[in-house]
Amino acid sequence: MSTKLQAVTRRQVLAGSAVGATALVSGFPAPVVASSDPIKIGYLPALTGPSSSTGVGINRGTELAVEEINAAGGIDGRKIELIVRDTQSDPTKAVNAVAELTQRQKVAVIFGPLNSGEALAATPLIARDKVPMLHPCWVDQLIDVKKYPMAFRNAPTNQQIGAAANQYVIDVLKLKKVAVVSDTTGYGTASVDAYVPMLTAKGAEVVFSGHIDAANPDLKPDMLRMRSAGADVIMPWSVNAGFLARILNTRGAMGWDVPVVGQTTLGSGQTRALLEKPDYWNKVYSNNFRNVCFSKDGKLPERAQEFVGRLRKAKLDMGDTLLWWIALGYDAPRLMAETIKAAGSSPEQITGYWNKLKAWPGVYGDITFTPELHNGFQDDQVIMCEVNSLRDGAFNLAPGYGA
Amino acid sequence: MAVVDPPIATHAASAGRHARFETALPWLVLAAAGAGLPLLDDSYVGVIAQRACIYWILVAGLNLVVGFAGQIAIGWVALLTVGAYTTAVLTAGTVTSAWDPYLALAASGLGGAVFGVIVGLPALRLRNFYFAITTLGFATIVTQVALAWKSVTGGGVGTPGPVFPWPFDPGWGFYYFCFGLAALATWMTANIAASRFGRALIAIRDAEVAAEASGIARPRLLMTVFLFSGALAGIAGGLFSSLQSYITPDAFTFDLSILFFIAILIGGRGSILGPLLGTAILTVLPELAAPLVAWSTFLYAALLLVIVLAVPGGIADLLDYKNRRPMKQHREIVPRPELVLQLLGEHRERAAIALSDIRLNFGGVRAIDGLSLEIRSGEVHGLIGPNGSGKTTALNVISGYYSPSSGQAALNGIDLPFKAPHKRAGYGIARTFQTPRLIGGASVIENVMIGGTYNGESSFFESLMGLPRHRRDEARTKAVAIRALETVGLGQLAAVRADRLQHSELRFMEIARALMLRPTFLLLDEPAAGLSAEEIRGLGALIKAISLAGTGVLLVEHHADLVFDICDRVTVLNLGKVLAAGTPSEIRAHRDVVIAYLGS
Amino acid sequence: MIESIVSYGLAVGAVYALIGITYNVMFSASRVFSFTAGMLGMLGGVLGALFITKFGLPVVVGLGLVLACGVPIGIITEIVTVRPVLKSLEQHLYVLSTLAFALMVQQLVAIEWGTDAQPFPRLIPIGPGWLDQQFWLPMLACAATILGLEFLYRRTLIGRAFVAISEDSYAARALGLPEQGLRMASFALAGIIGMLAGFTGAEMLLAFFGNQSILNFYGFVPVALGGMGSNRGAVIGGLALGLFQQAANFLLGGIFAAVAVFVVFIAILLVRPEGLAGGATTRRV
Repeated sequence: MSTKLQAVTRRQVLAGSAVGATALVSGFPAPVVASSDPIKIGYLPALTGPSSSTGVGINRGTELAVEEINAAGGIDGRKIELIVRDTQSDPTKAVNAVAELTQRQKVAVIFGPLNSGEALAATPLIARDKVPMLHPCWVDQLIDVKKYPMAFRNAPTNQQIGAAANQYVIDVLKLKKVAVVSDTTGYGTASVDAYVPMLTAKGAEVVFSGHIDAANPDLKPDMLRMRSAGADVIMPWSVNAGFLARILNTRGAMGWDVPVVGQTTLGSGQTRALLEKPDYWNKVYSNNFRNVCFSKDGKLPERAQEFVGRLRKAKLDMGDTLLWWIALGYDAPRLMAETIKAAGSSPEQITGYWNKLKAWPGVYGDITFTPELHNGFQDDQVIMCEVNSLRDGAFNLAPGYGA
Repeated sequence: MAVVDPPIATHAASAGRHARFETALPWLVLAAAGAGLPLLDDSYVGVIAQRACIYWILVAGLNLVVGFAGQIAIGWVALLTVGAYTTAVLTAGTVTSAWDPYLALAASGLGGAVFGVIVGLPALRLRNFYFAITTLGFATIVTQVALAWKSVTGGGVGTPGPVFPWPFDPGWGFYYFCFGLAALATWMTANIAASRFGRALIAIRDAEVAAEASGIARPRLLMTVFLFSGALAGIAGGLFSSLQSYITPDAFTFDLSILFFIAILIGGRGSILGPLLGTAILTVLPELAAPLVAWSTFLYAALLLVIVLAVPGGIADLLDYKNRRPMKQHREIVPRPELVLQLLGEHRERAAIALSDIRLNFGGVRAIDGLSLEIRSGEVHGLIGPNGSGKTTALNVISGYYSPSSGQAALNGIDLPFKAPHKRAGYGIARTFQTPRLIGGASVIENVMIGGTYNGESSFFESLMGLPRHRRDEARTKAVAIRALETVGLGQLAAVRADRLQHSELRFMEIARALMLRPTFLLLDEPAAGLSAEEIRGLGALIKAISLAGTGVLLVEHHADLVFDICDRVTVLNLGKVLAAGTPSEIRAHRDVVIAYLGS
Repeated sequence: MIESIVSYGLAVGAVYALIGITYNVMFSASRVFSFTAGMLGMLGGVLGALFITKFGLPVVVGLGLVLACGVPIGIITEIVTVRPVLKSLEQHLYVLSTLAFALMVQQLVAIEWGTDAQPFPRLIPIGPGWLDQQFWLPMLACAATILGLEFLYRRTLIGRAFVAISEDSYAARALGLPEQGLRMASFALAGIIGMLAGFTGAEMLLAFFGNQSILNFYGFVPVALGGMGSNRGAVIGGLALGLFQQAANFLLGGIFAAVAVFVVFIAILLVRPEGLAGGATTRRV
């Protein structure tokens, strides 16, 4: 299953890299930008390495978007050249790649990095080089209009994600005693640290919070401790499918009937594959996004429906990844293309246009920026879904959500 | 009779000038390339070059640990982590008020030094694979602590790195800062390499037993090197945090540890230039073609495998043209006993080593059963006996490698400590070995200069900074070593790699090394084994001259003729017991000896 | 709570013990500690998932195939990374050659198989219970291996030849024993044992390329503590380590449990470098 995923994307990567390699070898940039020169967009996905599943999924959408835009004539006759540098889930490689993209390739705008660890290192450097950047990473510290005036985020923040999950637990499920856990990665530990005080502020009682080694095969003692502490709900925060699956398996083996509410990866195909029994996936609710979920009538919003149709036509696989990743990847080049067409490709023109962006209709989310707010995703677009309703990479809204 | 070649001095002088330019050339090229890099006006190249310089600062120090001392430290990224977080946290102002970045960098160096000693401590007790695994353990511990200690390190979210002020601000200014520090690190480690410490490190790596006999104390030297290495790694870490602009625990991967380690092996151990080129190559390699990025660790590992199997000496070996020139086939060793007095110096104390009733068991076997003998200054004392009679064991007891079950060994009445062979040099006791212990990859003169380690005067710091005392030390040691080689008859082979020598030449080389200590006592373990008749005659004359200069010689030997020729006293061992002791003529006539050993 | 710690601790400890035995078998034949022990364990899980889940082979066939793969991999390890290095004077190079080879294989798996942990199939089609196959499969494999090795070393000619080579290779060679062939056979045997360890442990550890580093370290601890070459020490050490690790996970939590294991390990080694069971020292002079 996963090998096929790799095969598809590796071909794409090699193709993109061949383009990149020739650009690299040709070295010194041309002094004058002719009107038919391609528009260079820098792209920093993690396509290989430990945290690459997100990048691989997003990449499908990005490449599709670029293909479509170029097929339709590009931006006023100028084609988009996507310059891909695989960061390998490694911040040091991301730093090298940023230097190449901004200094040598002289890209107009950068999409990515797609992982928080690399984005934390890349953002100050891209800001120093005064290149606009758009990224979908969740860590709160990544956006700061004063420090990084040209950095924009087209995805929710960790706060928004946590707030939606917490709200579902407290206001919809009406549960008070919460167990919050994560793995021992940066993302996991940062999430737990952020969410515990948010829960307490909303009046919940955090009866258990901790970090568990994702490689540990046995989660029983920790789960037993959660149960004996009286937890009514488990909230796990991790992108590690193996870790999340172990939590679900242990819950099932213990026969402990509590809901699990947490990270989006709870709903991924990889997590499902690691479950011991299919019904261990019941009563599991994860973050997702309104635009790409089935509403009460079982239908996707129109934009998403149309998008899925296009994916089917392009024969892109959705079953082993998440629709919102692909949608996110699809939206970014389209937003950039529209911006450059409307305003121009200099950094001031791009950021000026973005600072005034209102409800830009993406497949993944409606993006609004202001000069004071560079987090473009709206609170109410972060919702909870029911993971065992997975169909073509999309989910039903979780029970209890208003329309 | 062989022609006596012209004195080595003039030879060495002109060869030296040429050699000095030869060795300086690559450095000049590198310095020019590095200093002129901004002319390319390509900041991307600048970033890669900064990274290479920063990695090299760490690798330069690690080179002393891995390449010179031979310790398999494959978890060195732990020190980079310590250095990076120290600088970043101190300048971020989250725990204390914000420090000045330069002071924070210095603090990183200090932190790295302390942690380097901690990581290195197991090396005193553990070898090879065991030590390697402990370094991996440390790397994991440090990363986990960085993750867990949220209040200080920011945990998973990390912490911003420092920005150095003008003139070393980000861009070419910072590049020159890194380049300058890299040049400094190169210069310092090159100084150490060409000092008694560098040679001592290689001796510990390749010929530990001989190093001990030359008075080199392994623990202290290793700890010094780990301290210095750690400091360099810490500073590299501080610079790294500035280059990255923001550090998180996931930046400090096992892959980095492997990169550092492999750079040294690819470059060649015992070299400075080799690992420098190795580091540069490994840093630049993944940038050359985008598809290479995913395969970079695979390529590093493949490169390492190829190097280990095909060219264990690495790039340094490939660049070593001198040692590929063919050597003269039939070489004769012509010792010059007349030079001994000048080499050893006039003044010799009258002294004696006395063994009283030494007994030593190996498991159930009684190797030595009540041995008493005396070695006096100015005398050659022969120790003979059949195989397994305990001759070499006795020598090992005197030289401190074995501890007897009972009995004493005393020098002028003062007890000699056992199980402390490296202390023997302090007592003026030097020895050679039954199987020559040499550093194959080093030149003959470097091997001999190992013997001069003990008498060296410059401290590690003075050598590090190339201060005058270090230079005087080097000149003096080299001069004495040349004289020692001329004395034993190997003057022509000074610059040749030791592993190209014939067996008999190695025996004389060991004697030259031992003579460097200007020993009061010289213990020789079967020096005539494998020598031709002519060479044995030369050896005999040499030993006689050494004893006439005032040194007491213990000669453990099989060649009865040699023993009876030059020895003043002879002790015969059989099955660990003294069969007979006296002058050669007494021994030759002794009934028991004749029956047991010499045959009737 | 306690049953969980004990059952998982013993099960994962049995896997560590088997990796330790893998180290020992390679060490006895060559005086070399090879970084490929963890690699074999990792491959046992990955190849098992490949054959049974992806290719759809029946479980027994899959197991047989996986063990069979251990033979050529072990032999290649010996020929490529051990034999050339033993011939040279610089014996410590084996650490580097085996490390390089193991890294290459690990990176290949990471790139071709993927960096996410993949599911490992259920081997025996009975449902999970408290005496789950996850637990007793590794312990069964460990017991079978120990008994098998005892039989081999004491009752068969080739086994006694193995013992001879490991005790005194000079004497063995003088007696005419084919040292090189026996060494290759030892590495093939180690390949089988390593694969078995990974295969039986994979229901717990999943088919994951990262298992290599984990098994390299945790499989070495029993050897270091139990004394090199001692299989009995490896088993006791492995089980003890498994229990300690699970207890530490429970008491200290994920991050500090790993730190605790490392610290205790290093501390023990510093106090007794030859391990708790003691070992042979070689003559230096």
